[in-house]
Amino acid sequence: MHPGIYKTVAQWIPEKSRVLDLGTGDGAFLEQLVQTRNVTGEGVEMDAASVARCVQRGLVVHQGDIADGLDQYGNGTFDYVLLLGTFQELLAPADIIREAFRVGRQVVVAYTNFCYIRARFQILLSGHTPVTSSLPLSWDQTRNLHFLSILDFQNFCQTAGFREQASAYFNRRGAVHWLPNLRAAESVSLLVPGAGFHYPTPREDADSQVQI
Amino acid sequence: MAVSPKSFAQGDLQDQKVAGYKSPLGVIHLHTVALPDFRTESGFTFEKIDVSYQTLGKLSPARDNAILVCHALSGSAHVAGLHPETGRPGWWDFHVGPGLAVDTNKYFVICANVLGGCSGTTGPTSVDPRTGKSYGVSFPFVTVRDMVAVQAKLLDHLGIEKLFAVVGGSMGGMQALAWTTDFPGRVQNCVAIATCLSHGAMQIAFNEIGRQAILTDPNWHGGNYSETHSPAHGLSVARMVGHVTYLSEFSMTNKFGRHRQPGTGTGDKEQFSVASYLHHQGESFVKRFDPNSYLYLTHALDRFDLFEGKVPDTILQRIRARFLVVSFASDWLYPPAQSRELVRLLKRANIPVTYVNLDTEYGHDSFLIENPPFASLVRDFLENGLSSAHHHASSARQEPPAAN
Repeated sequence: MHPGIYKTVAQWIPEKSRVLDLGTGDGAFLEQLVQTRNVTGEGVEMDAASVARCVQRGLVVHQGDIADGLDQYGNGTFDYVLLLGTFQELLAPADIIREAFRVGRQVVVAYTNFCYIRARFQILLSGHTPVTSSLPLSWDQTRNLHFLSILDFQNFCQTAGFREQASAYFNRRGAVHWLPNLRAAESVSLLVPGAGFHYPTPREDADSQVQI
Repeated sequence: MAVSPKSFAQGDLQDQKVAGYKSPLGVIHLHTVALPDFRTESGFTFEKIDVSYQTLGKLSPARDNAILVCHALSGSAHVAGLHPETGRPGWWDFHVGPGLAVDTNKYFVICANVLGGCSGTTGPTSVDPRTGKSYGVSFPFVTVRDMVAVQAKLLDHLGIEKLFAVVGGSMGGMQALAWTTDFPGRVQNCVAIATCLSHGAMQIAFNEIGRQAILTDPNWHGGNYSETHSPAHGLSVARMVGHVTYLSEFSMTNKFGRHRQPGTGTGDKEQFSVASYLHHQGESFVKRFDPNSYLYLTHALDRFDLFEGKVPDTILQRIRARFLVVSFASDWLYPPAQSRELVRLLKRANIPVTYVNLDTEYGHDSFLIENPPFASLVRDFLENGLSSAHHHASSARQEPPAAN
């Protein structure tokens, strides 16, 4: 993701917060948060080599997919749950964010804008699905399941009952403030539960045993 | 008729031919200490118990670098280095030594034979001072918690109040878990490998087959057998069943396939190599293991339950340690699902747990073999515990916030 996204997220997260990083990769960003923001952080990651790297960095990491990772934690364990760059790979993104709100108070989502002007031009002029610096892989290589724009994300949040408390947009030149749906390649939003939000019903098995 | 392993990577060190194997530690001596007054959970009091143990590395002046390694069902105090009499390497020589996963240059490593065992610590073969004869089946029922309590007494004897870490796989993992709940103030880090909160029906069933093989051996004699007429055959069958459960379909296919070799079968001049291998495993096991001990230890395994019917959280909230839980994808005896159950309960009790499910293909035995990803994982986890211990020792556990 764009370096500006990580910078923005680091600014959003107050010192000493408790952070769960879903799809933490090799843990570089989480380690940075631990070191610079003094957060208590945990990561969830599937890839074996990345998990090994996280352990090397001294991070608490859970090897598993995002849904499995969220399922490990009790209600309200974290202040922030991060979904940076994996959002478009989720089969059921709304369910995952709802679960994330069960586990944490606020959710940070970063994603790629499929309606970035360069992508639009590629579709229009070449007739091919776009390959850009923020969508680097061709249609058969990418792990993205969903292709969304910033407008789509805003609608999605409204429908699902998530409120965007803050957003930031970036392209190759840096931050975008004007016409982001056209000019931004990547976007990051800080979400809180909105008016119409319902917490997921707790699972009965372990929740009945472990009182948190 | 033994099948020599093609490389050490294909097997653990306990019952393999190990000619040419060099331990970086050289010959390491074992110690025995007599500890007074031990009461088992079942209410039996020993006036004294012998504990066989080994130590490696140096205890730091602050006495804060001790790691207790807990052995599995068939292990012993001889964790690493070469045995002074047999010349065999210890059961975890691949992972305990200078620069290895449990680095003897950094840590003071202790391994003790469990109570009820047969490799130097008091067990069914020991002499009952009341009768002058071996305990046999008059030996009291032993639990994993008893094993841990004996280890705690050993640490008292060695003058070690706190363990930097407790590490164990399988039955050793159960001991490691019991350490964190029974002596929470004495454990900083816990590495629980290929283990579980309690045995499921399948694990109990396999142990029961092993026990029945021993109990129905005509030489068992109600547990009062002599050394020369012991239920060795029953024990070897028990070991064969056990050994199969420690391997995986992949490792057996890879190692033996349908390969045959000369042998004495019924009307057949050949036997499958896997059969010969199992016979060898059984034969070498009976030379170093006592049948009654096998019965006691498998019972202890089957009866182990970290929560013992109590509400998990009441037990878990005692825990102060930081955890590494490791499972192996190919382990069907202690399947990853059991580790994940453990992880989920620990995490939901707000205990810092790192969980890794390694893709090693050698079944339950994966932690006993040469296994570089496993080794670096354990080494890195311990190393970070060492550095963070000095920076933020008290931040391991946070109180949970109010629920949503």
